[in-house]
Amino acid sequence: MKRIGVFVCWCGTNIANTVNIEAVTEAAGKMPGVVYAGNYKYMCSEIGQSKIKSAIIREKLDRFVVASCSPRMHESTFRKTAAAAGLNPYLVEIANIREHCSWVHKNKGEATAKAIALIRAAVAKAARDKELWATQIPVEHRALVIGGGIGGIQAALDIADAGFEVDLVERTPSIGGHMAQLDKTFPTLDCSACILTPKMGEAASHPKITLYTYSEVEKVDGYVGNFEATIRKKARSVDLEKCTGCGICWEKCPSRVKSEFDEALSMRKAIYIPFPQAVPNVPVIDRASCRWFTREKCGICRKTCPAGAVNFDQEDEVLQKKYGAIVVATGFDVLDLDDFGEYSYGKHPDVLTSLEFERILNSSGPTGGRLLRPSNQSPPKNVVFIQCVGSRDKSRGKPYCSKICCMYSAKHVILFKEKYPEAQAYVFYIDIRTAGKDFEEFHRRAVEEYGALYLKGSAGKVFPDGDKLLVKGVDSLSGHALEIEADMVVLATAIKAKSDAPQLARLLGISTDTHAFFMEAHPKLRPVEAHTAGIFLAGACQGPKDIPETVSQASGAAAKAIVLLSKENLLSDPCVSEVNESLCTGCLACIKVCPYSAITEKTIEEKIHGKALQRRVAEVNVALCQGCGSCTVSCRPGAVNLKGFTNEQIMAEVDAICL
Amino acid sequence: MKQLSERIKEAAFGSLSSGQVEMVIGWQKGPLWWQSFPAFITDPGETASLIWDPFSVSNLNKYLLNEVPKKKIALFLKGCDALGFNQLLRDGRVEREKVLLFGIPCDGLVDPARVEATGLSKGLLQVKKEREELVFYYKEGQRKAPARDFYYSKCLSCRYPNPVTCDEMLGEAVPCQPLERFANVSKLEAASLEERFTYWSRHFSRCIRCFACRNVCPACSCRECIFDIAEPRWLGKAKESGETLFYHITRAYHVAGRCVDCGECARICPLGIPLAELNRKFIKDINELYGEYDAGADLDKEAPLLTFKSDDPDVSA
Repeated sequence: MKRIGVFVCWCGTNIANTVNIEAVTEAAGKMPGVVYAGNYKYMCSEIGQSKIKSAIIREKLDRFVVASCSPRMHESTFRKTAAAAGLNPYLVEIANIREHCSWVHKNKGEATAKAIALIRAAVAKAARDKELWATQIPVEHRALVIGGGIGGIQAALDIADAGFEVDLVERTPSIGGHMAQLDKTFPTLDCSACILTPKMGEAASHPKITLYTYSEVEKVDGYVGNFEATIRKKARSVDLEKCTGCGICWEKCPSRVKSEFDEALSMRKAIYIPFPQAVPNVPVIDRASCRWFTREKCGICRKTCPAGAVNFDQEDEVLQKKYGAIVVATGFDVLDLDDFGEYSYGKHPDVLTSLEFERILNSSGPTGGRLLRPSNQSPPKNVVFIQCVGSRDKSRGKPYCSKICCMYSAKHVILFKEKYPEAQAYVFYIDIRTAGKDFEEFHRRAVEEYGALYLKGSAGKVFPDGDKLLVKGVDSLSGHALEIEADMVVLATAIKAKSDAPQLARLLGISTDTHAFFMEAHPKLRPVEAHTAGIFLAGACQGPKDIPETVSQASGAAAKAIVLLSKENLLSDPCVSEVNESLCTGCLACIKVCPYSAITEKTIEEKIHGKALQRRVAEVNVALCQGCGSCTVSCRPGAVNLKGFTNEQIMAEVDAICL
Repeated sequence: MKQLSERIKEAAFGSLSSGQVEMVIGWQKGPLWWQSFPAFITDPGETASLIWDPFSVSNLNKYLLNEVPKKKIALFLKGCDALGFNQLLRDGRVEREKVLLFGIPCDGLVDPARVEATGLSKGLLQVKKEREELVFYYKEGQRKAPARDFYYSKCLSCRYPNPVTCDEMLGEAVPCQPLERFANVSKLEAASLEERFTYWSRHFSRCIRCFACRNVCPACSCRECIFDIAEPRWLGKAKESGETLFYHITRAYHVAGRCVDCGECARICPLGIPLAELNRKFIKDINELYGEYDAGADLDKEAPLLTFKSDDPDVSA
């Protein structure tokens, strides 16, 4: 007979207020196999744990159940307790009577009955627990950073500075991301490029960092410590080694296309670098708009290149590399304004998104930094800024706050007024959110020093009126309807997740929230880790963030990655699948459903009626298996079993609850 | 039909006597008019006892699972059997190179129950098929009737009367005019939840759990069935309606995506439970959700329930 102990935790009042602890302890003491049942106010505390340890020795317990909070909180705590008292840590079961019981019920009688049922199930499972041992798996000491914006750059630099090799993969021709598009940064108004480009250069020249620009991650296999990624280096059509970045090619190129970097406000060539400080300073040929690739004519760039770097025959290169850790820093997109027709965006050139406005302010932008109305190149006198376009808007946009718009709108007001002190800025807002160091002071400067007129309320409509724009809105504080004659209207457009974020999530095996931002493992306690071990998150791919937050999260993600990479070996979870070969029919459905490619087929020989028979069966690679259990549900005869969660144990739990 | 019987004998004799195969699995006549049994022949001299008649309905290919041949085994396959054979192949339960397959075109086989229902069985000695007609032989003479009136319902909706797989076809291909196979499923789909529950509860209340449906099914090829495993005991032994329901629903899930719709489960059921409708519901759903898929016939298509595509419909609700 097993000697099971049950330890019921009050969790202060969290459990004790809703569950009758004494009744539960008494009932647990009478369950089959239970030789001891006790309770304590905080089982996870030093005193609680020492009570468990002494009970193990005094009562000769060979396994135990803790009835407490979710195993995600304290399973590892109590496994360590078991190990300290000489028990195998996998002889511990948790009955979750907090999240699954006391927190979700009000009626004490019913909650007590449910707590008893949950403990009965855990006791039935514990009786079938077997000793399990972790094995060691080696760690590949290299990191992959996906996304070359400020988040990715910072994470790559921090990991590389710790002495580990880093591959930084960026989809566009240059690293830099959105930050490279910005003019100034709040709340200090330092020039975005001036603080970003040194970091870009540092990343490019760092001996431990390899840049893969114009490249994409196509596939990721493996698991923590041992990922294997497939990276496609798209054909640049220009030799990275030979090119000197002299610029003759793009000067001579006759094809003109809208510049993505300038938010389509200017034209670039078919052979181009996205912006002057691009890293690497090597152009790419946009084959879709290049005359050579579309009509097999031209070839001027190749003729004029003094270095002979242009190579029309270059092909995509596919690399396979192993990594111990992955940092995802893929950034954000700006909301599409198709559903916001009332602002005349796209219909009138003087209605701009804030990112477009940013480009117009920027000295490397389409106007060379001269703030003029796009319609007639005249200086604007009145500019209306409309906040929360698509943010905090359940019906058409996103229900969340995009977080950075209040601050950049204040910045825009200040930059605009610096250029035109006589002009007037109006800002329509719902609330002003300035929670950040020096943020409120910065906003007050926009109001007090620069005289911006902040109007609490919504701008309902913007329409062209002669050569002006008429903005109709309501000032909800005074209740007055307003009509403002504006020269320009700037829309603080919502931030959204990258449109292909769900695909990347699937590729990496991480999860997304309802808005397709990547999910952190715990919103408070594990904010930079993804649910999948070894994958870390940095920046706006996880949710709207400003630059300081992105940089700090990137450094946090880097620190987590460094902790992982600095280990020689990891302990593998022994709760992995195993195959009962006598039951396995060799249908291999398990191979098809395994997300970790952890199952292979093998041929075994056995004797039947004296004849040797060869047959195929499934085999689990315990180093690759992550214990997800997909194989066990695909196996019809139940030949695959998950250690620690065997079919026998699950059935025993169900029986204990139902019978 | 007689000609086909001769060709079966010849094929069996040829392959056994040449040493190409070590065993032939075919059909032999039993003592009564409706009895045509599986026969396992290793001696070329016994091949003359093999027959083909309107009652050769048994699917022979599951017997392969019990055999461990050194050489090959020869097997006779009807259209429905060939689908099942392909599924066994796909599930890795038989080795193609260990089997010699003789294909038999078959436009339908006779359900003895239908003969009995018409009263024709009284004093009946033998039934033979002549073109589109059945000839019933009695002491005092013979009677004739249209053959199709006596066919199994699974034969009436048969879509593959000619085997999709074989090494040698015996006989000419026959035409096929299948009835709509999802007619009953659609009718049930239109019924209310209570009506459907009553329908199946009533049928399953008769189930004696003889497991014939499982034993005959070419998709049920596990070495040891979960319903036979003692620990954990998924299925109790008591005749309890919940357990019967659990058995049939679980079995339907286990064969989902692999059921070849041969109709053997319903044919074999001694209580006449329309089990094939349960499996056809799955087939219909799979076709509607993931595109047409014919298990046993579509060998080059990926099995829809074992593949994941990012645009798969979300059916969690």
